[in-house]
Amino acid sequence: MNIHAGPNVVETSGLTKRFGDRVAVEDVDLRVPRGSAFGYLGPNGAGKTTLIRMLLGLTRASAGTMRLLGRPVPSDRAKALARVGAIVEEPRFYGHLTGRENLTVIAAAREPEAHARIDGALARAGLSQRADERVKRYSLGMRQRLGVARSLLADPELLILDEPTNGLDPAGIHEFRAMIRGFVAEGRTVLLSSHLLDEVEKICDEVAIVDHGRVVMQGSIAELAAGGEQTILIATSDDGQALAILAEHRAVASATAAPDGIRVRLQTDVEGEPAADDIGRRLVLADLAIRRFEPTRASLEQRFLEITSRLEEAA
Amino acid sequence: MNTTTATVELPRTRRRAPRRPRLVNAEFLKLRKRRGLVLSTLALTVVPMIVAYTVLLILHVVDPDKHGPAGGLENLSGSMEVLSQLSVVAAILVGATLGAGDLGSGVFRELVVTGRSRLALFGARLPAGLGLVFTVVGPAFAVTATASTAFAGSSDVPGAGLLASSAGWLGLVTGLALVLALGVSSALGSRGTTIGILLGWQLIAMPLLLQIGALGSLREGLVGAATERLEPARLFDGGATVPMSLAAAVAVIAAWAVVPLAAGAWRTCRRDA
Repeated sequence: MNIHAGPNVVETSGLTKRFGDRVAVEDVDLRVPRGSAFGYLGPNGAGKTTLIRMLLGLTRASAGTMRLLGRPVPSDRAKALARVGAIVEEPRFYGHLTGRENLTVIAAAREPEAHARIDGALARAGLSQRADERVKRYSLGMRQRLGVARSLLADPELLILDEPTNGLDPAGIHEFRAMIRGFVAEGRTVLLSSHLLDEVEKICDEVAIVDHGRVVMQGSIAELAAGGEQTILIATSDDGQALAILAEHRAVASATAAPDGIRVRLQTDVEGEPAADDIGRRLVLADLAIRRFEPTRASLEQRFLEITSRLEEAA
Repeated sequence: MNTTTATVELPRTRRRAPRRPRLVNAEFLKLRKRRGLVLSTLALTVVPMIVAYTVLLILHVVDPDKHGPAGGLENLSGSMEVLSQLSVVAAILVGATLGAGDLGSGVFRELVVTGRSRLALFGARLPAGLGLVFTVVGPAFAVTATASTAFAGSSDVPGAGLLASSAGWLGLVTGLALVLALGVSSALGSRGTTIGILLGWQLIAMPLLLQIGALGSLREGLVGAATERLEPARLFDGGATVPMSLAAAVAVIAAWAVVPLAAGAWRTCRRDA
């Protein structure tokens, strides 16, 4: 595998796609680091597939620039795409051909070595036993696997997968996650587009959150979640007194009595751990017995909802 | 995707192989594996010729006074007229499938993301289509030529030169129909629409236009007039419906081949995949 030496395998700048008056992708600056599993996360209709289609030369950009594996596209797309494997939306095949024949057709469009990769790709996707059956008899899950096998014919440095777990059963999804991590362990980069937060959180190292065609946040999963709301669930021997102490604490944004204790929401501009330590200390100094003290950090899902709901309010 | 197969290595060795024919072979694979298409083209070409000469042979054997020999020049003329029409229909079916098959199955985008030029993808379709059409039409002509010679009896026997020129003319007419269908279906992106339009044009509209004398020399622009000009003279001795020079006929045929192909190639290169 000829690894591209640059730090980013995908770079876009001001990338925009308009369909008449509607802007599907707006001024997107994206950096996908080499050797990572990168999530492109957003709700349905956010412009994820349109961005992928532009990257792959399936549709033209209205404005902006793109580089794949360090090469400008579309001007140098042939060389760039030679080391890119992709599944865009639901993978499509010739139903009247077998799985192996479908790969043969695609291998013919790739470099001569691609043909020798067919058996390995089928084996890796777990389709060796069914490779000589016609694809029209395949289940949706098998088609997804065949789509993966097809993308491996490029011996890809970059795999672009658009909603790849659609149609997979829970076991299949679990295996798929392991396979993607396996690709990353081999030094390949995976760009995974999904509307499923849980999927991205479990598979990816980095994520860009997209909404209404714009990338609203980009970074590591931990960084993005860290920027979210921090809360502490507290139960003491005297919750009334504890509420009074918490109301005066500068790091506390709100404190609300709940059946299982007091829900404390911290200010967003404070560091969580020191603030939680200080709150705990003050409660102890007030001679309160602490029965429960559970700091929680927002999950990516909560953070995603925060960001998108904030955007909706702003709109 | 089971874990036992997760460690299979993808070969990364470099091996030199000829590049261009692989795409053509892939296109041919896609076509020949369409059983319905292959069977229907056989049913349109080989089967009618076998049936026709079998019937003629039986009629002659049963009642030689009433029915002349099954072969001979006259029957070759009639069977070539039928075969050329049916071969055109077969070529339209194949061409329309070639041009719109990738789009219809949704695989066009999968081919585009390989990075291969769209022009190369389009260019591979023509030789593959010609390969299939001639594989089917060739045996049909062989049946016709063999039967017309072997069963000529007391009738005039077609000579080798006439058979060769007839084969060439049949190839031209069939190839043109394929090119036309390939170009139109690549431009329209629809197999069904292409078949409907071209069958209507070839079997109804163009023959009617050729018969309208009031159109005068405008009829020289019709591909049917040009191919008629090149028909082997002894086979169809009625003469051309629209008199035109050989150069004009060649120019018209070239235009009818190039324009649809250019339109199909342009649309293939420009369309969203």
